[in-house]
This record gives sequence, C-alpha cells and structure tokens, in this order.
Amino acid sequence: MADITTQITGNIHSIETMGLVDGPGVRTIFFLQGCPLRCAYCHNPDSQPMNSAAARQMTPRDVLNIALRQKNYYGQEGGVTFSGGEPLAQGAFLLECLKLLKKEGISTAVDTSGFGQPKYYPQILPLVDTLILDVKAFRSGTFQSLVQGAFPVFLRFVEDVLKADFTGQVWIRHVMLPGYTDNEAAMRELVKLVRPLAFLIDRIEILPYHTMGVGKYAELGIPYRLVGVPPMDPDKAKQLERYAHRYYLQTLPKARLRQTPTPLPLPAFPQQKESQEAMERKTDFRADPTADASPYIREGIDLRKLPLLRHLSVSEFEEMAQDVAIKRVKKGDFIFKSGDSAGRLFICCAGQFKIFTHTPDGREQIMYIYSPGDFVGGLNLLKGHQYLYNGQALEDAVICTMSKAFFDRVCLPNPRILQQILEKSYDRIRWAEELMTRLYATNAGMKVAELVLRLAARYGTQTEEGMRVELNLNREELGSYAGLTRESITRKLGEFKDLGYVDFEGNHVIIIKDEQALRDHILAG
Amino acid sequence: MAQRKAFKQGAWCDHIDVRDFIQQNYTPYEGDEAFLTEASLKTRALWDQANSLMQQQIKTGQVDVALDRFSGIDAFEPGYLDQDKEVVVGLQTDKPMRRIMNPYGGFRMVENALKAYGLEMAQELHDFTKYRKTHNQGVFDAYTQDMRRARSAGLLTGLPDAYGRGRIIGDYRRVALYGIDRLIAEKQQEIARELGPATDERIRLREELSEQIRALLAMKQMAARYGYDIGAPAQSAREAVQWLYFAYLAAIKENNGAAMSLGRNTAFLDIYLQRDLDAGLITEEEAQELIDQLIIKLRLVRHLRTPEYDELFAGDPTWVTESLGGMGTDGRTLVTRTTYRFLHSLTNLGPAPEPNMTVLWSQNLPQDFKEYCAKLSIKTGSIQYENDDLMRDIYGDDYAIACCVSAMRIGKEMQFFGARANLAKALLYAINGGRDEVKRDKTCGKPFLAMDGIAPITDEVLAFDSVFDNYKKVLAKLAGLYVDTMNTIHFMHDKYAYEAGQMALHDAQVHRYMAFGIAGLSIVADSLSAIKYARVRPIRNEEGIAVDFEIKGNFPCFGNDDDRVDELAVQVTELFVEELKKHPAYRGAEHTLSLLTITSNVVYGKKTGATPDGRKAGEAFAPGANPMHGRDVSGAIASLNSVAKIPYCHVCQDGISNTFTIIPDSLGKNPLDRRQYLAGILDGYFKQKAFHLNVNVLERQLLEDAMEHPEKYPNLTIRVSGYAVRFNQLSRDQQEEVISRTFHTRV
Repeated sequence: MADITTQITGNIHSIETMGLVDGPGVRTIFFLQGCPLRCAYCHNPDSQPMNSAAARQMTPRDVLNIALRQKNYYGQEGGVTFSGGEPLAQGAFLLECLKLLKKEGISTAVDTSGFGQPKYYPQILPLVDTLILDVKAFRSGTFQSLVQGAFPVFLRFVEDVLKADFTGQVWIRHVMLPGYTDNEAAMRELVKLVRPLAFLIDRIEILPYHTMGVGKYAELGIPYRLVGVPPMDPDKAKQLERYAHRYYLQTLPKARLRQTPTPLPLPAFPQQKESQEAMERKTDFRADPTADASPYIREGIDLRKLPLLRHLSVSEFEEMAQDVAIKRVKKGDFIFKSGDSAGRLFICCAGQFKIFTHTPDGREQIMYIYSPGDFVGGLNLLKGHQYLYNGQALEDAVICTMSKAFFDRVCLPNPRILQQILEKSYDRIRWAEELMTRLYATNAGMKVAELVLRLAARYGTQTEEGMRVELNLNREELGSYAGLTRESITRKLGEFKDLGYVDFEGNHVIIIKDEQALRDHILAG
Repeated sequence: MAQRKAFKQGAWCDHIDVRDFIQQNYTPYEGDEAFLTEASLKTRALWDQANSLMQQQIKTGQVDVALDRFSGIDAFEPGYLDQDKEVVVGLQTDKPMRRIMNPYGGFRMVENALKAYGLEMAQELHDFTKYRKTHNQGVFDAYTQDMRRARSAGLLTGLPDAYGRGRIIGDYRRVALYGIDRLIAEKQQEIARELGPATDERIRLREELSEQIRALLAMKQMAARYGYDIGAPAQSAREAVQWLYFAYLAAIKENNGAAMSLGRNTAFLDIYLQRDLDAGLITEEEAQELIDQLIIKLRLVRHLRTPEYDELFAGDPTWVTESLGGMGTDGRTLVTRTTYRFLHSLTNLGPAPEPNMTVLWSQNLPQDFKEYCAKLSIKTGSIQYENDDLMRDIYGDDYAIACCVSAMRIGKEMQFFGARANLAKALLYAINGGRDEVKRDKTCGKPFLAMDGIAPITDEVLAFDSVFDNYKKVLAKLAGLYVDTMNTIHFMHDKYAYEAGQMALHDAQVHRYMAFGIAGLSIVADSLSAIKYARVRPIRNEEGIAVDFEIKGNFPCFGNDDDRVDELAVQVTELFVEELKKHPAYRGAEHTLSLLTITSNVVYGKKTGATPDGRKAGEAFAPGANPMHGRDVSGAIASLNSVAKIPYCHVCQDGISNTFTIIPDSLGKNPLDRRQYLAGILDGYFKQKAFHLNVNVLERQLLEDAMEHPEKYPNLTIRVSGYAVRFNQLSRDQQEEVISRTFHTRV
C-alpha cells in the first residue's frame, strides 16, 4: 500500500531550527512556499509564489525526521510551527504532517492568515495546538488595500475555527503600520473582530512594521507599495498592545456571563496589612529557651502555642507522653505517601509542606500547602481511612505528629478541637472547589491570574509597590498548582510582567501591580 | 560570642582528601538569586581603582614590569591596591598590574617582550643564561629537522616550546583546609615511601617532591610578609578565602603559564562562609564582599607577554577559569549560595573576561540556577557552559576545567598542553604532496617541503578516494611527529621550568593527559564534502601547487545537521586521535584531543592557502568546532546538532568548543521567556552529549558600533572561544571575524 507520508510532498521555502517567537517554547519552523495574499508589507516576497525553483520538496516523513532531531530541545511546550507563505494553502501536505507529528506527541502550531483550502480545515484544525492567526486589518477597506484579499474570507475562517473541533489556543497577531492601525480605536476594532474566539485566545501580539524586507523587492524586481511609510515605533506598538489586552479583558466578562452560571467568587484581598496566612507563617511555636522543662515542651516546641492543642489541660499534656512526637524533616522529604494508612495526625510547627497527587497523565497536581499551625489527617483519623495523597516538605520543616490513640482518647471528646477540625475541613473543601474551577478554566491566562489572586488572598502582604506574595514554591510546583507546566506558567508570568500586571523579585516573589487586570481575567471579577 | 560549628569528620581528616571534606560539610542550594546583596562600599571603591588602572593600561598600551628580579613564589615584597579597603590581600609583585619576568620558559621571550615595550631588565640579570639553561633552549637542542619544518610551516602551531605550558590546576583549597605545615609533612612522608631502585622515574619524583616542599615553604614565607601564618588551617571564612588566594597567588608568581586556572572552589568556600553566617560572625553583605574582592584580585592578574602573543589571543588573557555548579555523584547539586555569589560579581563589578566563568551544566541542575545563569549570559556574555553529565562519568565530581575546556581531577591529574595541528593545511599537503601552499624555501625559493614522502595529486578534478587516502597518510605522519614533538617539549619543561608550587598541591602520583588539538575541522569536513558531492578542480600554479579551487555544484556543509558531511568531520577526528594513540606519550600520559582555537583561528586562516570548500587564501577559520561562517543556514539548532555529533569520550576528550551568537529579539519576547528558552536550549544541546557552548546574546549592529566608537563600550565583553574578551581589545581583523560569524536571527 502506498504510504502517503512518503509520497505526498510539500514546497518548503526554508526551515528555522531555533524558532523562539512563533508559538510557545523552542520550536522548529517550517516556512511553506506560496501565499495567495500579497501583503503590501510582506518581508518575504520570495515566499509568495506557489512554486519556486529555490523551494525544497519534502515529504511529511522528512518533516517528522527533522522534528525528531530537534525533539530534545522542545521541552514542555515547544514543537513544530508551520508558517509561510500560507501553510493552509498546502492543505493536504500540512494535514499529513500534523497527523505524523501528533502521533509522536509533538506539539503543533500553524501560523496563518486564514486564506487556505477550506476543505481541509475540519481535519486540520483539531490537530493544531496553537493557531497563530495573523489579522491583517479590521475592516474591509483597509484589508483590501493592504493585502489584496477579500475580507469575508478571513471572517469565514474565524467561523470555521469555531465550527471545527479545535481545542487549542489562539495567538492573535497583527502587523501595525503607522497611519493605518496605530490608534486605540483600531485596537478596539481588532478585539471586537476576534471576540468570537475570546476564550481560546492566549495572547494578542502587535508586531511593529519594519522595513528590513524592502531590499528583497528590488532584488526580485517587484515594486514596493509602501515606499515612504516609516517603520512603526516599537514603543508605541507595545503601548497599543497593552491597550488591546486591557480592552480585551474589560470586555470579556459580559460576553461570558451570559453563557455560564456564576462561578465561585474570588476572595477579597486582606484588609489588614498582612493576610492571616502570612502572619501564621511567621508564627513561632518554639519554646522560650529559658523555660523550665514541662510536659508541653517537646524538643524546643511549645505545644501549647499550636492552635489545635491550645485548649488541652496540663494533665492532658502530661498524659500524651509517647503519643506525641516532634519530627524534623528536610526539604524534599516525604511526610506521608499516598496509600499510607492514616495512623497519625500531623501539625506543622515550622516550614511548609505541600499535599499533592498525580494526574492520570503523570503530572504532579498540588492540592494544598500547609503552613505553621495547619494540621492534616484529622478527618482521615476520624474515618480510619488511608491517605490518598502525598505530603512533602517544601523547605526544612518541623512537624508534630500525634497517635490515633491519643486523638481518639483526648481530642475527639474535646468540642473545641473538633470544631477546629470542622472549620479546617470547610476551608479545605472551599479551596478544593476553587482548585477545580481553576483547573477547568479555559486558558492559561485565566489559570495563572486566578492562582496569583488566590495566593495573594492567602499569603499576600500589602506593600507600597503592591500586593507582595512570597512563595516557597518553585515554578514547577507553581505550575502544578495552576494545572500548567513550568514552561507555560513562566511564559504567562513573563507576559503578565510585560503587560505591567505583575513584577517579580527573584523567582519566588510576585508583586501584583495591576490587580484589576488580573481580576478581569476572571469572569466573576 | 557565637561559636563556629565543628566540621563533620571523615576520611579527609586522615589523609589529604578535599572532596571528602566538601561532601561531608557542604550545603546544596536550590533556591534563586533573591538573597544576593550589592557590592559593599569598600568593594566599590576598590573596584573603581582597579578598573581605572586597567583602562589606563589599555589606553596607553604601556605595561609596568618589575625589572630588577626574576619570578619566584617569595621573590617580591608585599603589594596592595588600597590596604584599608582590602579584605583579601596579595599581589603578584609589589604593585598592582606590575608584571613579572619569568626567564625559565624562554629568555628570548622575556627580552623580546621588554624590547617591545621599550624596557630593559637590570644589568646583572642579563647574565642569566650564562648560568642557567631555559626550557626553550632545551627544546631546540632536541628538536629534529622534521619538527622544525612542521613548526615553521605552521602545520603545528602555538606549541609551548618558548613559553610556560600552564593548564595545571593546583588544589589551592588544600592550603586553606590543611595549612602548609600539614602539607609539608605529607610530602615528607611521600618521599620517605619512594624507596627502591633508583630508576629515572624514581629519581625524578624524589627530586620533584623536594622541590615541592621548598615551594610550600616559600608560600608560607610569602604569606608571612603579608602578616598571615598559613602554616595552620584557615579558621574563618575570611581566612579560607585568603589562604586559598595565597596558594593561587604562589602559582602565578612562580609561573607564566598560558592558562593559570583556579579550579572548582565555590562549594568548598561556601562551607566556611555558611558556617560563619550561621554563627552570626558575618553578614551576607560581608560574605559577598569576600567573594567580590577575591574576584577583583583575579581580574588584576597579569603576565609579561609579547605584543604579538597578546594580539594572537586578544588582550591579556590569563584563563583564571573557575568551574561552577555541576552535580555530585550522589545526586545532590554542587550549586551553593557561593556559586551564586561568584557569578553575582558579574553584576556587582560588571562583566569582564576574567575569571573565566565556566558553568558545569547538568540536566539535573536546579531550574532556578539554570535560569539565573541564562539571565547572566544574556546580560553579560561572560559565561561558558560545559557538559557535567558527560564529564562526571569520567572524572567524578571533583574535577575542574583548565583553560577553556580541559577537564581534570583536581590535585590528582595534570595535563601536558599541546596547542594544535592545522588539519586544513594538512589536507592541502595531501593534495600538494607535502609542499606548503604559502611558505617558500628560503634557500632555493621553491615551495617549502614541510613533509616528506607524500605524492602530490595531479588529477584534473579531485577524486574523493584518492584525496582521502593521501590525507590518511598525511595524518598518520603528522600524528607521529606531533606526539614526538610534544614529548620533547614536556620533557624539557619538566626539566627546566618545573611548576613546583602547583605540583606541591597535587598528590605525589598524578595521572597525566597529553592534550593534542585540531584547528580547521569544519574546513576539512566541508572540503571533503565538496570533493565528494560536487566537482572540485584545483587551479595549480606553474610549480604544480593548488593555489585555488573551482567548485561546480552543491555540497552539504557542516552545521546543518546533515550526516553526509557531519560524519566526515567525525571520521577525521576519530582517525586522527587513533593515529596519535599509536605513539607513546612522555611519562605514560593519556592522549586526548581538543577542538579549540581560541582566537588563533584568524592567524591560522592567514597562514593557510585557499581550500577546496571555497574558502579563499588567508580567510579566517571558524573558531574551535564551529561551522564555517554563514554556512550553517538551517538555524541554530541544526548548527548545534552538527557539533554535538563529534564524540567527547575517548575521541575529543580534551574538549569541543562551540561558540554561538543569537540576537536578543530572536531569543524570546520578554526577559522571562529568554531566560527560560536559553536554559531549554542548553538542556537540549547537552542532552545529546554535546560538550561545550559559549553563548553571546547580542546584535551585529552593536558590535559594528563598538568597532567605530570603542569609547562608548569600555566593558563590552563577548565570548570568542573557550574564554571571553573585551571586544575593544580584539585586533581589527579579529573584530571583523567576530562580526562575520553567523548571528542566529529571525526577521
């Protein structure tokens, strides 16, 4: 039987093996030869003819082989991007390439202006992880004057994307020319134009027009239509890009709320300077070094200071003897593992630890972070159930552990302790519900914005520069908390910084600069 | 007053074993850079002074030399930069940047250097050669005619036959950990153990050990002049830094080696710094101050060299290479807070070529550290990366890099440095029958016969098989000659210019490498590819020498991840190392091979005629293992993949240097993306067993502007090969070559 992957060929204009700006991560870019549009500002006019002597003929198998040679560099987000030219103009070839790549688990991106062969779209679009949609202009007149293509064709493509089983993300891209679209009104038009794609959009990029491609026109003997148009000022383009994002966010909730019931509200930021947790985290449970030996002082920890045990009597402390132990763990040590029987209750006395499980695809999913004063295992002890998750120290930590016997004998009968267990359980359920909404959020921007806001509400400190959130999590863990890879969350945070929403100190402190922008990502506001 | 914690005991207490001390006591650090502090006021004032001295010397081109005496560990009075502000003291001579005359490698080199600067040594020193022979004299007494011919034609170049070989790393940590007295006692025991028949080897070892003990005593006296007793172990963090620096200082007072590297010291020093921090005896700012000030001292290291030497290597390179990071064999990272402090000096003091910051990259390094390195690479262009996962398997986890890419176990191994053979020229010899394409015989005016017994190729169009057969013959002959030449050089270096101070900080029995090198590999690969896949017609002059080549048709070039040509590069490398290994090396040394040119790729180009790949006569070679300029047209990763195919273990085990330049906008949209992507690229590159990468993130326009307006960029630092240089100190030719290199970019 004929193998289509080695028989069909595509016309390749060129290959860039280190593409770092066309789609997420480190990518191999295949520039396909040929584009039906004749954009006035096209900086690769040599890639416009559908056939060119300089183009290379390649089979989908060739494409895959090159991609496999680069796979070591792709990391968590990278992969292959098809650009052009207009990649959708070689639909049959592109489709076979995408099938092969997806089979190898390689992430795919297609950089298009929407002028291809529509009959292939229903099969192609479901295989695309990132669709880079180049929006040439936002109304018919400008569109036709710049690109010699029919505006309705573009509009139909947007509809096709919505109709197809496309589950990826969309990057909106626009080349800004001075005198054409370099104003706020144009940005509002852009946002309105792509609004049907709203919840798929991961970023909006405004690329300032440059004149570096002009020389190629002379070489090819083609007249250049934009003679006299100066390069676009990159700073102004950046400013308008920020404006477009803000406008996009501000107009987002109205569109969505009509379709969905109200999601969980976001907690307000703490009114006091420090959040409850931020203060708790600094709580010191160490015993006064000059204090005399007493039943509630264990290995330098004053058990009376622990909120859960605050209400025990001296005689109860005397009674606990071997039932309560202090454990010192190093960063990275496990406190318990999934499947362990719940024989003890753990109270965090110093440091932090995380509770996590693994998703079916093997990623770590953090569910909760425990700070000093927090305890875990109360309900497990009540139910006599095993642990379904792992507990691991995020930093060197001190943990007080209590036997089930003591818990049953002394804690259970104490209504004040029971009440605390119930309150904590309620907090946990709320947090778990929030986690659920975060994981189900459609796009990475929402996930990150929501996580940052929730962490700020729990751990934030008000400072002059903004709400400061100090984390013991590395990026891998932060990503895991948000349901994203390290690379995705880092990229999104970098973008947020670029847009002026947040700032950083090192890798573990986030400062919120524009709370409203983050809140606008989340529909409940 | 707070007490310092006692160190954890171990094997290091019973015998000299610095690695064990580190393993027992160090604290791995997996966090980010947020804890770092700014330079102290004292440091800043001190650096201003040091920097103005350096800039002044660059401006005037004049050097200061101690003219009244020769080199020696304890030959000079103490010197200071600004004593009140120095928390780490010690200079090579009595004044900063005053250079030392070292006559033992070669007397003429000293005379020529002085003459070039219009200086003259004290009258009584002129008689030196009446009483003492030098390494240089020894070598030339023993060179054969063939060796002289290969050398003068530029087939073998940069040989350390007239200057110090360097590339030896003393275990400078030993002085801090054990103190000089204990080290002397150990050496005395080693001599006492060397009983038995008085063979050449044993006599030499006993003599060398005695020299080493004298050197240790001299170190102690030198430190005493500064008011420190380094007979005993260092007690505090400050002493540990100071003791270690004294040990290194002894090495650079005694020797003018081409590369005088520092080793791998940050986990070691971190133990002392962390202990004093824990005890509340110092603050973070003071810890950083100690490191910053050590770095200032390292940046002030100068050697007396001829202007031609400086031109060849650009500026004043000393290769004070410090190896940073890496992983331990037990899986813990060797990154500590002090690794960060060391790198942070690039921020506190600004970018600079020295010390040569070398990050040992492992897939398992903490992500925060990877991204911090990437951030500094983007900001300062001062870091090189080498594959720890490859090297750890061979050398364990207490090795360091000497010079640019040469790995060795610290205190247990040393290297005989051997410059490089011009394999592009060797290919022309295969075509021209051993006659040089550029050089003429002075006596008869005919083309210089550099190698006997090779028949010239007279075909109208070059046939791959006959060229390759002839090339194999040339390589076999060249390899034998190369090993014999190196044996001669190092025999004489040991005899007349022995590095007693550095070898005193080694075990008595050391393993030796003999490091050979290749220049012009990408030209050889592309030339063979052209001959194989296109039609190459030599254009011969009336004497039958191919002086140019006419190429018809296309051929694959090295640097595009194309096996057809990449495998030729691998094949030639493997062939050459196999030939080298057929010839025994002096003192039982193990043969290794490097692909490293430093900046000499420009000079090699000048001395080499046109080559069958279309390179014109005189055109610069690509540096190290790099693809030729502008021929890697498939993007950076294809280029990296080609270089990654050259095997390290047992083939190019003295290092494979690759320099990579990318413009910032192509590296990502914002600073966070750029950090993450650069770290990802390094992961990807090293995952496929590549060895080394220099990273430059800059625009061509910036370099062009710096060429026209050097005053605007006094500190612009770029990585050229296994080290970094100030761009302004490159010659015009070198600057043009750097600008002509491939800049990976996307329009």
